[in-house]
Amino acid sequence: MNALKNLIKAREVPVFLALVLVIAVAGIANPSFLSASGARDILLGVAIVAILAVAQTFVIVMRHIDLSVGSLIGFTSFLIGDLYSQGYGLWVGLAAALLVGALVGAINGFLVAYLRLPSLVVTLGALYVVRGIFNDYAFGRTITAAMVPPEVAWIGLNRLVGIPVLFLIGLALVIVSGVIMRRVRAARDLYAIGSNPVAAELAGIPVARRVFTAFVINGSITGLAGAVMLGRFNAANANSGLALELIVIAACVVGGVTIAGGSGSVWGAFLGAILLQAITRTIGALGIPQFWQQAFNGALIILAIALDKYLSTRVMATTIMGSKDE
Amino acid sequence: MVRSKTSARVAVLEMAHVAKAFGGVQALVDAGLVLYPGEVHALLGENGAGKSTLLKTLAGVHRSDAGEITLHGRAFEQGSTRDSIEQGIAVIYQEPSLFPDLSLAENVFVGRQLVSGGLVDWAAMEKASRALFERLGVNLDPHAKARGISIADQQIVEIAKALSTDARIIVMDEPTAALSSQEVERLFSVVRNLRDQGGAVVFVSHRLDEVFALCDRMTVMRDGSTVGTSLIRDTTDSEVVRMMVGREVSELFPKLEPRIGDVVLKVENLGLAGQFSNISFEVRSGEIFALAGLVGSGRSEVIRAIFGIDRYDTGSVTIHGSRLAPGRPAVSMEQGIALVPEDRRQQGLFMASSIARNVAVTMLKKLTSWLLLRRTREESTAATWAETLQVKFANLADPVDKLSGGNQQKVVLAKWLATEPRVLIVDEPTRGIDVGTKAEVHKLLSQKAQQGMAVIMVSSELPEVMGMADRVFVMREGQHRGTLERSEATPEKIITLATGGAVAS
Repeated sequence: MNALKNLIKAREVPVFLALVLVIAVAGIANPSFLSASGARDILLGVAIVAILAVAQTFVIVMRHIDLSVGSLIGFTSFLIGDLYSQGYGLWVGLAAALLVGALVGAINGFLVAYLRLPSLVVTLGALYVVRGIFNDYAFGRTITAAMVPPEVAWIGLNRLVGIPVLFLIGLALVIVSGVIMRRVRAARDLYAIGSNPVAAELAGIPVARRVFTAFVINGSITGLAGAVMLGRFNAANANSGLALELIVIAACVVGGVTIAGGSGSVWGAFLGAILLQAITRTIGALGIPQFWQQAFNGALIILAIALDKYLSTRVMATTIMGSKDE
Repeated sequence: MVRSKTSARVAVLEMAHVAKAFGGVQALVDAGLVLYPGEVHALLGENGAGKSTLLKTLAGVHRSDAGEITLHGRAFEQGSTRDSIEQGIAVIYQEPSLFPDLSLAENVFVGRQLVSGGLVDWAAMEKASRALFERLGVNLDPHAKARGISIADQQIVEIAKALSTDARIIVMDEPTAALSSQEVERLFSVVRNLRDQGGAVVFVSHRLDEVFALCDRMTVMRDGSTVGTSLIRDTTDSEVVRMMVGREVSELFPKLEPRIGDVVLKVENLGLAGQFSNISFEVRSGEIFALAGLVGSGRSEVIRAIFGIDRYDTGSVTIHGSRLAPGRPAVSMEQGIALVPEDRRQQGLFMASSIARNVAVTMLKKLTSWLLLRRTREESTAATWAETLQVKFANLADPVDKLSGGNQQKVVLAKWLATEPRVLIVDEPTRGIDVGTKAEVHKLLSQKAQQGMAVIMVSSELPEVMGMADRVFVMREGQHRGTLERSEATPEKIITLATGGAVAS
């Protein structure tokens, strides 16, 4: 009973219901939308954003943000292909992608955690710095299908039990991250930091170290996800990953990972990413001009914030009433 | 009683000759505190006496510059808040420090979540915190989020947190400030329970009646030093007050002979639900009228309502016989009221703007022609006022951020004096500024009053109230508790009215 109550209160539920609603509407209007290939389209399309949204959740729950992920994933997807085409193996490419991701995360994390600079500005700067270095590195070149390691190409093309491998990678990440965020002490500290930074210091939480680590985790996952992106598109160029960070943050917000920190789950972010993707596809299926897609997604973000605000004030009201009649 | 034989027992904590400076301000000079197991120990002193700094040293928030601290007979390791927690010290701060988005159970165990097999064990945490809440006699749901629970419940959660760490020393910084009388009773029984189980509780409160009802011993601090420790039952409240006040009212207050004129501002029966009620007074031209009381007694709220920042539920404010529209600061300014707020950085100044802009901002209409602000006029006006108030600055175009606290306060005063108000309201006019500038501010207020301005001064510093005020209006818990004429005001009388202690002899 209690468990059921908690389930209904969970912030992920409205996201899930919205997703069901969107799919139902699209399915009625255009039955091909509900076909296996239609579903696969969504799952394939959502994988990258879902992975980055899960990683970004580590940062957003601390009341921080990382805008550099679009530049970073583009860079590492290019890097993996480039190293492979120069005769290095896949593993060298992956190690390099991880290293670059961790390094960018560590620089962001150091500036935010130890020098106490605002993460919005630091990572906005990192967005341009990484993109600039990437542009110079990739100047005029493109990674073509022939330069993509076959294993990477394989994950982009194949399915296991009918589900695209790319999506399964995202699913595995959200399952593991879900357990970590819910049940590992250090990860719980991230929620405490986002909920009340001053109190977190007073409670003896090593705030700076946690903030630093979370940025490194986000950077590392993002760096590795370059392989996923390369597999998905089977190509890369200097514009890869452009503006992706905004969709990632939108997915988090829509999924209930509040920008104000302290609440939300990786599952919420994951569902948020799927919901945005489903809406994009639905707009296509309904024959609505694609221009409307961005307007819809924007409205959804505002709706999500309004919902969070409403829910938190309602929770407040019920707790106050509850404590009175004891 | 067994408890009184504390001298025979081993102290859990001994702090001696602790000193701490912040920049140029010596917050602690020679502070000490000795704590025995099984006692509730009151830490007393006026605002700014150094109580909070001393406790934050113990909590690991600050590191002392000098002094010895021994804990359980061993040297206390000053490191981080975590080190203090691990050494058995729990601090319940004045300002709530719960995590609104986390469950009460997680709040109890935050940073030390119970784990089994390396993973957080939610069921065990909920069970353990339920048991703690039961032990404390409250019916709180460990699963509920902390957002929105009452301050009394927040404190219970903080106490549960302290219990869960097996803290032997529990510090409570003004825990009763926001509680109703039933909630205070509940808290007291919890504290007595902790004491009877051998815990040492430090209790900071400004309410002497509570100190006498709850505590066993007390330590009094003044100006960053400990001035005495005694058993509560051997002490009377007038002795406590004398120890807290201590000094003579200094000659720093160049009070001029007042020339009291007609009533300028009349406040009748002013009330705001939950903040203050039945506040009535008249202020005459040439008079310095002090609102005294403890922090949180409703003084600032009253002046905010008068000036129109907040609305009020009942009553009226009249200036020169005409009723002042409530909730309209702009109208209040037009009618000749000025308010120098309590927090100059947040409320009084535009920190990043120039000195000139800050001074001139109240007179933009006068300085504007053809919709454009005349910079030369702005600068000359600002220069005049800066000179009148002897603001020390390098360049009028410098941001006020660069100035010292005292000079910033002068800029705020200049900005409001430039409006040539009939009623000047100042909230804590000399908080955090050096002694020299303090005297200058006092002289200025005194001069302005003598020139016919009516001055309403909110102050928590007794010497300031004693030295400046023609009349003292004392508030406690949102109520008027008494008005004292200059001739009859003594620190003892003011403290007694403000704290609700018995009338001192």
